Amino acid sequence: MADVDDGASAPVSEPLDLVRLCLDEIVFVKLRGDRELKGRLHAYDSHCNLVLGDVEETIYVVEEDEDEEETVRTIHKKSEMLFVRGDSVVLISPQAPS
Amino acid sequence: MSFFGFDPTLPRDRGHNPSAPGFTQAADPFAGLSRQEDDDDALDFEDTYDGLGDQLDETDDALNDDTFGGGHAGGGPKSVGKDFDFFGQTAKVADAIVEEQARFTRQQPVSRVTPTTSHFSQPLSKPARTGYERYKEPEYVPEMQVDPTLWGVAPKRAAPAPAPESPATPGLAPGGRKMMSLEEVEAAMRAQAQKPAPAQPAVQQQAPQPQYTQPPPQQYQTYPQQSQQHSIPVSGPPRDEARATPPVQPTHILQRAQAPPTQPAAPSQPTQILQNPNRYSAEQRPAPAVQHPGHHHGHHSRPSGSRHIITHPQQLAGLSEEERAAFLMEDAKRAKRNHKIFLLSKDNGLMTPQDKNFITRIQLQQLVTATGNPNEHGTDSGLSEDFYYQVHNQIRGGPRQHPGQPLSNFAQTYLFQTGGRHGGMRRQARGGDNHMQRMEQQVQRAVEAAKNKPKNKQLVIEGSLGKISFSNAKTPKPLLNIKRTESGTDAQRPGSAARDRRAHAAGVSGSDRKTVLTDIENVYNTLLLMEDHDRRIPSPLTDDLNPELVGLHMDWRAKAQKLNQQLWQQLKVHEPIGATAVHPFIAFLSFSKGKRAIPRVFRHISPEQQTTILTMIVLHLDQLDVVRQALLMPGDLQLAAGIRENVELFSLNVMPSLFGLLNEAGLDIVTGVLGLILTKNVDLIARTRIGVSMLTMVLSRAELIKQNGSVNDQEWDQWVNTYNSFFDALEPTLPNIFPGTVNTGEDVYVWQFLAAIGIGASPEQQQRLVMAVKDRVMETVALAKTLPPAMSSQRLANVNLFMRSIGLDVELLA
Repeated sequence: MADVDDGASAPVSEPLDLVRLCLDEIVFVKLRGDRELKGRLHAYDSHCNLVLGDVEETIYVVEEDEDEEETVRTIHKKSEMLFVRGDSVVLISPQAPS
Repeated sequence: MSFFGFDPTLPRDRGHNPSAPGFTQAADPFAGLSRQEDDDDALDFEDTYDGLGDQLDETDDALNDDTFGGGHAGGGPKSVGKDFDFFGQTAKVADAIVEEQARFTRQQPVSRVTPTTSHFSQPLSKPARTGYERYKEPEYVPEMQVDPTLWGVAPKRAAPAPAPESPATPGLAPGGRKMMSLEEVEAAMRAQAQKPAPAQPAVQQQAPQPQYTQPPPQQYQTYPQQSQQHSIPVSGPPRDEARATPPVQPTHILQRAQAPPTQPAAPSQPTQILQNPNRYSAEQRPAPAVQHPGHHHGHHSRPSGSRHIITHPQQLAGLSEEERAAFLMEDAKRAKRNHKIFLLSKDNGLMTPQDKNFITRIQLQQLVTATGNPNEHGTDSGLSEDFYYQVHNQIRGGPRQHPGQPLSNFAQTYLFQTGGRHGGMRRQARGGDNHMQRMEQQVQRAVEAAKNKPKNKQLVIEGSLGKISFSNAKTPKPLLNIKRTESGTDAQRPGSAARDRRAHAAGVSGSDRKTVLTDIENVYNTLLLMEDHDRRIPSPLTDDLNPELVGLHMDWRAKAQKLNQQLWQQLKVHEPIGATAVHPFIAFLSFSKGKRAIPRVFRHISPEQQTTILTMIVLHLDQLDVVRQALLMPGDLQLAAGIRENVELFSLNVMPSLFGLLNEAGLDIVTGVLGLILTKNVDLIARTRIGVSMLTMVLSRAELIKQNGSVNDQEWDQWVNTYNSFFDALEPTLPNIFPGTVNTGEDVYVWQFLAAIGIGASPEQQQRLVMAVKDRVMETVALAKTLPPAMSSQRLANVNLFMRSIGLDVELLA
C-alpha cells in the first residue's frame, strides 16, 4: 500500500478526489432545504453536480399544528436516476453498505 | 533629501550634510557646537511658524456663526447645523502644532545629555545637546519628518562637546576655543608633548588593530588650515562653515604634529582616501576621549574612537621644533595634493557614511546569504534588505514586530548594530561614529560564519510540503518550492502516505476500505491512459522501412510497456500473500467497480500476467466475497439482493475473462488450477455458484483437451490423479450442492457442473455420483411433470445435461 508508485495518477490530491473514491458506491448526500439523498454515485463534476442511481430521497418538513407545536414530517421518494445540481449540495458522505 | 518627499527647504537640511564627511573638508567635530546659535535660529519659532495665526481675524466674530451654530451671534435658538468642521480647522494649523511640539522637546534640560558629557568638570558654555534626547523618552514617537541625525549630520554638534574643556588642554578658557591664538595652540601642543603618558594606554589598547594605522585621516585634518592659503574652489556651505570655524582645538594640532613622519609613505594615500573617505568623519568625534584615559571604559563598547592617535605613538615624545617647521613646509605640498584629491573626489560626499555603511552591510549580508544560513532566513531577510524599511524603522525607532521573537544569528551580527532593531543599541550607534570598525569586525564574523556553515541551499523540514529555498543575489528566492515526485502521490499527501505506511506496518493494509478504493481509482486512471494510448498507435509498419515510423513504434511500445508495469503494480497482484488479512487484489475484486475493471485490465496485460491473476483468484477462491458471502444458509430460498448482484457481476465480468484464458491454457495449467482448488475449502466452493462455475470451467477444459488428443500420458496421469483427489473431496458435498429447493429452479449451473464431473469420472465414480444426486434428479423429474410443458422441458433438459454425461437419459427415468 505504501509504496504507491503510480505515475500520472494521484488519487487524492484535492477534496473532490475523495468524492471520486465514492464513484459507484452508495453515498449519502445532504442538500439544502432539509433534503437528504442516498444512492449510488454514478458521476460528479467540479461543481458537485451529481448523478445518482437508485436514490432514496428524504424531505424533512416542519409543520406547526394549531397548538403551535412543531412537528417534523418526513417525505420519502424514490428515483431510479437523479441529477442533482451542485449548488444545493451540502455534503457528500460515503455510506458503507449496511 | 526631498527624495523622501520632505520639504527640502527646512533650514536644518540646507544642502547635503553641511558639517560631515566631505572629502576635502575637515569635519570639525566642534563645528556643530559653534553653529549652535545658527541652528537654533533655524529652529526658531519664526521659521517654523507658518503665519497662520496672523491670518486669523481676531477682532471679528463673523465666523462664530459657522463655528457655533449661530448661538452667540443670533442670540436666538437657531437650529444647529450638523456640518461642523472642527477637524478641518485644526488640520490647517497641524503643521505648526507639530513643529511647536518638536521645538519644545528639543529644548528639554541638559539632564538628558549623555553621561559622557556631564563627566567633565568644567562648565559648558551651552547645554550640549546630543540630538538623541527625544529618543530617550520611552514613549517617543517622532513626527515623520526627516531627522538629520539619520544621515550623520546632527551628532556633530553634540557628541564631541566635552573635548574642548578637557583637562589636558590647560589655558583654555571655557568655551573659548575660537579665541585660541597660534601661541596658545603651540603651548597646548607642548603641554601635550611633555606628558604623553596619558595617551599611552589608549595607544596600546588600539594597537592590535593594524588596519587602522593608515595615515589618511591625518591628511584630512590638516587640510582646512592650509586651504586658506590656496584658492581652492569652495563648494558650498559646508566648506564655508569649516573655514569659519578654524579648527584650532588641541586635538587637531596634536594630530597634525604626528603627521609629518607619515608623509614619506604618502604616495598611495590618495587612493586610500578615495576608498575610505567616510572613515575620516567616522573617527572624528570620539577622538577627544583619548585624552582622558580614565574615560576609556565608557567607550568600551565601541573602542574604535581614537584610532588615528595610535598611528605614531612614538612621536608624542619625539617631536622637535625643526620637525614641526619641516612639517609646516610640507603642508603646502600636501594641500596641493589635497586639491587634486578634491578634484578627483568631487562627488565623494554624496553619500553619508551611514549610507555607505548600510550598503556595505547589505553586501555583507548577501555574502553571508550566499553561503547559506538556514536559520536566518525565514524572518529578517526580506526586511533587512529593504533600505526603505530600515530607514522607516529608524525613524520610527519602533520595536520589532514580535518582541519575544529572538533575533536570529544574522540579526544579531548585523541588524543589532545597525540599530534598526534595538532601541538601546540604536541610540548609541546612531551617530555611526565607529561603524567602520564594526564593519570590519562584521566581515570577520561573516567569513567565520560562512566557514562554519554547511553549504545547503535548501532547508527541508521533516514532514513539510516542500522545501524552503534561500536566496542570494544571483538566485532570488523562490517562495515555495513544492517537491513533486514522479509519483506525485507521496509529496502531495504526505499525511495519507504516512498513514498507509503505518497501516502497512500494522498489517492492516489492503483491507482498509479507503485504500482499496484508492487502488481502484489508480487502476482506472491507468486504464484510461492505456486505452487512450491504444488509440495513438502509429500507422502500421510497411515493407519499406521508414525509420521515423519505426521510431514512433518503439516509443509507443516503450510507453505501453511502462503503462503496463504501472497497471500491474497498481493491481497489487504481487503483494505478499498472507501479509494482510485480505489480499489487496481480492479486496480489489470485492468492489463492483473492481470487478468491472477486470475485462478491461485483461485486454492490456500479457498472458503471463493473466495467468497470474487467474492463479491469484483461484488461490483465494474461498475468500472472494462472491464465494464467501454467497453460501445459501439452510432455510433461505435466495441470497440477499446485494450479494446476488455481486455474483451476477462477477459472472458477467470476471468469469468470461478467466474462461477465455483457460480456454487457451494447456492441461498442465488446468491440472494446476484444480490442484490449487483442492487445497482450499472445496465444500464451500462447490456450494456457491461462482465456485461451481470455476470448477465446471476447469473440468470441461480438461475434457476438451483430452478430446483434442494432444495430451501426453504423463500430464494426463497427473490430471487423473488430481481429479480423483478432487472427486473424493467433493463427494460429501454433492448432496448439498444444489441451491435452495427444487422449486427455485436456479440450478442449471449445477447440472452443468455435474455433467462436467460425470464426463471425466470413472464408472465407479459415476456410480457414486448418481447415488449422491439421485434424490435431486427424481425430485426434479417429478416437479417437471407438474409444470407447464415449456418449463417442464427446460427442467428436464437441465437434468439431461448430467444424465447424458454419464450415459443415461431422463427418458429412462420417466
